[in-house]
Amino acid sequence: MMISPNTLVILLGSTALGTCCGLVGALMLLKRRALLADAIAHSTLPGICIAFLLGGSRSLAVLGVGALLSALLSATLVSWLPRITRIRKDAATACVLGILFGAGIALVGIIQRSGLGGSAAGLDGLLLGRTAGMLRSEALLFGISAMMMSLIIISLRKELLVSCFDPRFGLSAKIPARSIDFLQTSLLAATIVIALPAVGVVLTAALVVIPAAAGRFWTDRFDVLLAISALIGAASGLIGTLLSSLHSNLPAGPVIVLSATTLFIISLLLAPGRGWISRHMQQRSRLQDRQVRQFLDGILSSELEESSLVVLKRQPVTTAAIDRRNLVVSSRNGWIETDSQRIQLTPEGRRRAVRARKALQIWREWLTSEASIDRDLIDLDEQDIEKILPPDLIDTLQRSIDHRGTS
Amino acid sequence: MERHGSAECSRDLGGPPLNSPAIEIHDLTVSYREKPVLWDIDATIPEGSLCAIVGPNGAGKSTLLSAILGTIHPASGWLKIFDQEVGKSQELIGFVPQRESVDWDFPVDVLDVVLMGTYSKLGWFRRPGKAQRDWAMECLEQVGMADLKKRQVGELSGGQQQRVFIARSLAQDARLILMDEPFAGVDAATEEAIRLVLLDLKKKGRTVVLVHHDLQTIENFFDHVLLLNLRLVAAGPTAEIFTGENLLRTYGGRLTLLDEAAEAVRRIRTGRSRTGRDQ
Repeated sequence: MMISPNTLVILLGSTALGTCCGLVGALMLLKRRALLADAIAHSTLPGICIAFLLGGSRSLAVLGVGALLSALLSATLVSWLPRITRIRKDAATACVLGILFGAGIALVGIIQRSGLGGSAAGLDGLLLGRTAGMLRSEALLFGISAMMMSLIIISLRKELLVSCFDPRFGLSAKIPARSIDFLQTSLLAATIVIALPAVGVVLTAALVVIPAAAGRFWTDRFDVLLAISALIGAASGLIGTLLSSLHSNLPAGPVIVLSATTLFIISLLLAPGRGWISRHMQQRSRLQDRQVRQFLDGILSSELEESSLVVLKRQPVTTAAIDRRNLVVSSRNGWIETDSQRIQLTPEGRRRAVRARKALQIWREWLTSEASIDRDLIDLDEQDIEKILPPDLIDTLQRSIDHRGTS
Repeated sequence: MERHGSAECSRDLGGPPLNSPAIEIHDLTVSYREKPVLWDIDATIPEGSLCAIVGPNGAGKSTLLSAILGTIHPASGWLKIFDQEVGKSQELIGFVPQRESVDWDFPVDVLDVVLMGTYSKLGWFRRPGKAQRDWAMECLEQVGMADLKKRQVGELSGGQQQRVFIARSLAQDARLILMDEPFAGVDAATEEAIRLVLLDLKKKGRTVVLVHHDLQTIENFFDHVLLLNLRLVAAGPTAEIFTGENLLRTYGGRLTLLDEAAEAVRRIRTGRSRTGRDQ
């Protein structure tokens, strides 16, 4: 397959665009303003229509100016409404989105019926996005703007970090949080406007938000999140545009967003640590650990009660009974020895069981004896209490357990 | 700790203050919409003191911190920080936010947060480099958190989270450190750890002003108190100000809190030794 120079420029343009969307989206996600992207994108429609009616042309530059103006109007409304009225931020966002998009749809209807229909086809393209008909100069312009905005974000990420994480600290860090905030919103508006021709009014917000949401599964670092989110955005832009250029009847917007969605689903499932599968496995192995521990504890109890080291295999050891998996896991690890009749703890197994029992006792004591506790981080399954509680506290707790035991 | 506290108090009581005030508040009134949340506050907090802002819920404690921090503007009156107008010397102020106001899921690790303290000296566009990272590590060591530098902030305990932000103030070389309820929801061991850090800050001559809830721990620890309930009830050295009468004036009328106030008053009357029992 040959790629024409025209297509190449468009591909590069949409890759740059995706990068920019990913970066801006990450910032919005961290500011918890993802919905603003949606509101701004939808409310560009009336601006585009009015620009079309006034300018009488479908040149992207003219329409872009209209889009940018109404994007800024909606951003201003969303930030002002909660301040001057009792409407809350989420409601204000929804109102602005609905009202302006509604006005836009009405205007589109008027334009289509008013005999300007032929050129109104260009407006349809803006609803769902079309890269195929894009001129090389347009793609170049948008690509370069996207790259410049990306550069601004990358070089200002220290300031943006403060603005997102702890804006009140801005004054102390000599960072004007308000201006940075304003810059951030402006970047969002501008990004959306340049993304419109490719992705369309309806789906632009998705290209802004999805890469960032996907990136969040992979990292716990700000810089890395920006990088991954930009990468996912870029890949979506590239793949989507490529696919839609191969099949002329596929609109670019949905395909780009579907590419992003695919990457999102991959991240959601496969990302180590935060991904669904990884979480599920962690939880499962914790559950298993706990069961094995209870199993060993059960054997320990039987051994202690009968003051014998031998336990019959059939004997109900715990309420959890003898689970085959527990047996297999324990003997594979060398914690128990079995023959056809008996299960017996190995010295190592006994050490483990005793240790676990002791830890459990201390946790119990700790939960009941400390009046106000910082239990966020306490993992009651954690056997290495020494890692969490200070040693003197463990001593105290142990002493109070012993004391109760003897009295 | 007891000895330390009383020594400070007696110094503060004797003669004119040695230091210029860290914070000077004059006729300060702040209002949200039409409702005043702080009314005609006049107070002075000397440099090097450990000062608690105390009062019932909705007394305007956090608002006062925000006014000092410069994030809200007074309706009337003024504040001076180290003899300068608010906004002129904000890089001297370190801020430890209230626990609930921080997004703990935010993708930053411990070192990232402490590095923010170096931003004010870096200026636009410049990124923190090795020098800044070394300095940040030094500050983390001072609060005993160097081992946890790579932890995401949400994976820390409440006390550790507080200490990270204290380290950020150190990195910033802040002379005044504001803390919004650092002791809220932390366990006894953590509370002790934070106290030690605070005493250390005091020893280094930094001024620490914090919003505090627990009346029972004020006596032996803070050398200054500011009793607040929309208006200023009283402010000054703890030994003078922290009296039963003042507390009742601060909390009076709020029945649910009366018990706590009464308890604190009883403590004061039955001698001022609590530290002894704690150990």
